[in-house]
Amino acid sequence: MKDLKHLIYFEDLLQEAHNDLIRQAQEEGKKCIGYMCENVPEPLLNLPGCFSARLRAPRTGSIDVGTYYLTSFLCEYSRAILERALEGGYNFLDGMVTPDGCTMLNRCVENMELLKAAGKDKENFFWDYMEIPMKADYNGLNLYVLQCKNHILKPLAEKYGIDVSDEAIRKAVAEHNHICELLRQIGDFRKLDNPTITGYEYNVLCLASYVAPKYLIVDKLEETLEELKTREPDDKPWFKARVLVVGSEVDDTDFIKLIEDSGAFVCADRFCYGSLPGRDPIELTDDEDALTQICRQYMYRGECPRYMNTEKMDGRREYVDKLAKKYKADGIIYQQMKFCDPWAYEKMMGSHILRNRYDWPVLAVDRPYTIGSSGQMRTRVQAFMESIDIKKIQKEEQ
Amino acid sequence: MKKIALKALLYILTGGLAFFVVTFTVYFFNLDMKLTSAIEPFLLKWYDRIPRNQHL
Amino acid sequence: MAVKKFNKMVNPEKIKGDTRYGDLYKPHGKVRKRREWRGVGDTLYDYSRWLGIMLTLGKFMSKPRNIKFFFRYRWMANYLAVPMMVDRFTQGLRGEYLRMTHEEQDLIIIDVAKLLNTMARADRRTGNDEEFSKINVLVDENEMTAVMMGFPNLKCTSRETPSTYVSVLLNQHAMEHYIDVAQEYGLPGDVCPMPEAEAGVSIDDDAPIFGACAVQCNTTCDGSLLGNGVISERLEKEDGIPVFQLPAPLRHKEDDVQEYAAEEIRRAIAFIEEHTGHKWDWDYYFECAKRVNFATKCRNEWLDMNKTDYPQIFGGNLALYTETNYMAICGKVPEFERADRRLMKLAEKAYKKRKMAAPEYRHRAIVWGVQSHYYMDFLVWLLNCWGIVPLTDMLSCINTEMIAETDTPENREQAYYDMAMLTEEMIMRNRTHGGYKVLLDDLFEFVEQYNADMIILWEHITCKALDGMHGMFEDRARELGVPLIWVDHQLFDPRVVSRQGVRDQVNSYMRTVMQEEPLDPTLEVLDDENSW
Repeated sequence: MKDLKHLIYFEDLLQEAHNDLIRQAQEEGKKCIGYMCENVPEPLLNLPGCFSARLRAPRTGSIDVGTYYLTSFLCEYSRAILERALEGGYNFLDGMVTPDGCTMLNRCVENMELLKAAGKDKENFFWDYMEIPMKADYNGLNLYVLQCKNHILKPLAEKYGIDVSDEAIRKAVAEHNHICELLRQIGDFRKLDNPTITGYEYNVLCLASYVAPKYLIVDKLEETLEELKTREPDDKPWFKARVLVVGSEVDDTDFIKLIEDSGAFVCADRFCYGSLPGRDPIELTDDEDALTQICRQYMYRGECPRYMNTEKMDGRREYVDKLAKKYKADGIIYQQMKFCDPWAYEKMMGSHILRNRYDWPVLAVDRPYTIGSSGQMRTRVQAFMESIDIKKIQKEEQ
Repeated sequence: MKKIALKALLYILTGGLAFFVVTFTVYFFNLDMKLTSAIEPFLLKWYDRIPRNQHL
Repeated sequence: MAVKKFNKMVNPEKIKGDTRYGDLYKPHGKVRKRREWRGVGDTLYDYSRWLGIMLTLGKFMSKPRNIKFFFRYRWMANYLAVPMMVDRFTQGLRGEYLRMTHEEQDLIIIDVAKLLNTMARADRRTGNDEEFSKINVLVDENEMTAVMMGFPNLKCTSRETPSTYVSVLLNQHAMEHYIDVAQEYGLPGDVCPMPEAEAGVSIDDDAPIFGACAVQCNTTCDGSLLGNGVISERLEKEDGIPVFQLPAPLRHKEDDVQEYAAEEIRRAIAFIEEHTGHKWDWDYYFECAKRVNFATKCRNEWLDMNKTDYPQIFGGNLALYTETNYMAICGKVPEFERADRRLMKLAEKAYKKRKMAAPEYRHRAIVWGVQSHYYMDFLVWLLNCWGIVPLTDMLSCINTEMIAETDTPENREQAYYDMAMLTEEMIMRNRTHGGYKVLLDDLFEFVEQYNADMIILWEHITCKALDGMHGMFEDRARELGVPLIWVDHQLFDPRVVSRQGVRDQVNSYMRTVMQEEPLDPTLEVLDDENSW
């Protein structure tokens, strides 16, 4: 296939946490609020006058200092972020909102605060920590709303004079939804038998929407969508099998590339930083305040394994099954960043249940934060492709 | 009568003393733990043989 | 903050009997050569308590269904080592210290025996007493049982307490089999081995099946929250036991989470009422609340005593007793109140006499972090080998506030918040969660309050919440000039760091940094790798 016109532009955005568009938005007087977890309702950080940047540590090298503070048993994501923060890599931030989602991210940000690793010379800089519900129900919703008020809206209004009215929130949701719609439409090309977009390309576009001010990438995404409508695919699909990637935090596009270089096509992305459900639009009605509606939708659609009620646990596996069918996957890759406790358990449960109860071919792997060109992972994915092939042949013979 | 009572007391004392000597010996020389530690390997083999419905 | 220098204190009383405790270990042995000679009086006292323990065990094994239970569940084999656990915890203790430890330990043994008896009777595979099973509400191992304070006729039963928690106290190798089972099913080795072992017990079909319903809780960490999911998969879907998940907020010091927490308590109570048919009893609740307050008052006084030169109730026993009394008992068992009174009396008596538990006190230490379960008697070793007095530990630094104990309409509403507070501030999670202040800042405040001159920092290597403050502990200790000894361990798995591996970390620090010689050199290196 011909290269996407703006792919290099989007790839460049992912080379630095402090990318050009963040600079541009800040020069326009907007405040940049950092966050690290999908449980922070993104539109609330994108109210008029501010924008969100989900933290990454691209091109991570040594994480020795991060390891000194957090030990080698915390996930490399948290260590890499702390390392980058200590290097001054997030000095551009104007505030940081952290949910007590997983222990590791929480500790990472606490260390950043204790070590004053961001917010230097910014007198209005704030560190705020949120409690996130562990069950999806009315009580959880009340908590979520209160936490968003106290730990997002309140500091934004008090420190930076941001308009946190219902009207402003609705405006932010509309902008958020526009990006989501674009990405959803682009992502739908992955459903084609001979898709006109690769999993890697989609991953780059989606990731960019988390780390750059949204309003500055809209035009490029719109152009890309138009381009895809007429993009000619290769004569034959280039892959052996279609896989759905499920699991913990992935902000390393090389991981998706590696899977695709091993003969698979990543047809759907159900992981933190992925589009499912992270890029589902938020539907608002007029009969209830926007904040409550946002929180409800974040809570009920959230696929984070820290949700502990049975409906949510079962729902996570049902959702994966549904996505695999919707995106015509041949198999599922459950991936977990090494040392991630929540996904260690969810990977074990999910991979067994999807394999035994839903009859999907499943590969369960753990991986470092940045995978580079791991031969081990490549071998595992290739072996998985072969096993899918064999199963297909066996089914045809039957 | 007195003789019977004395005899009973003697039996009780002798019994008590024997109980004390035996149990104190077991206690002091840790014979209870030495015995149970010798039993444990057989017990573990027994547990290994129990059919189990091992799954998630 | 300035760390005060502690001048060595020498015990004016000579320790009677054995003083070279390492000589009692048999090389490569599972058990010791013989029991300790503590002088005539103390040996006879210890012997009498040993007889009592044997009687408790004998009574348990006298019931056929309990024998069946014993031969069905692999983890029951660990109960062969009960007397040895007591020996480990009482090593080197004399007089009041020996008596206090027996008060704590023996009561825990009786309580666990009752728990096992309950389980054997209710379990579908052994006693299969269906009516009895219906009055049991299952809870997690590390769960605060405050929501059961208003159900006088229900039993609050934790299957994980005897199968995993107590088992490791008895036998350091107890959980290796279950950890391996969980790992065979794909759970990595870098998660906390406690929920991992609990999941392993469930996967291995080695959990008794009974109960009207279960209340699970996100007790201490992400691992324990997720481990519950493994257990409920079988419990709820196969065994048909309904499960309520009770989420306790992590940022428990914040005002804006308390209403959420209280509402979850109300819902847990409603769930129990629905599935057991029993109604919440406020009279019983406030009766239990009085006992909770009494336990809190006693613990506060013991800890105050430990701030003086003559600490009395400290070390591994304090942590174990606190954990049992605070969480599993939570005011529901009057016998623990009586034990508290006896302990208080003994402690006051020893304090008045200015008693010391070892020949010398060389250092006063705050023990922080998550203790090694397979080596919980390490604190006794610390005292006997190096003269380091473990004044208090993180597990004992729990709630110090009184809860509402008189029945008024206002207090009935307050009670939900009190139960929520107790649940949020469960042992371990009250420090490992709730922001860095409760873990990091409070430690150094305790160092000052207790006039400690040293920190022993247990680093449970797969406890992410604790690991996440590693560098900050190190930096702060260096800044304040407090000697800090890291003691790495893997909680339930001595194959990762052995008991000697644990000791070596202290030995090398004491010899190289502190330039000291041990109080009892026979304890420095022990061949106890195969030991229970």
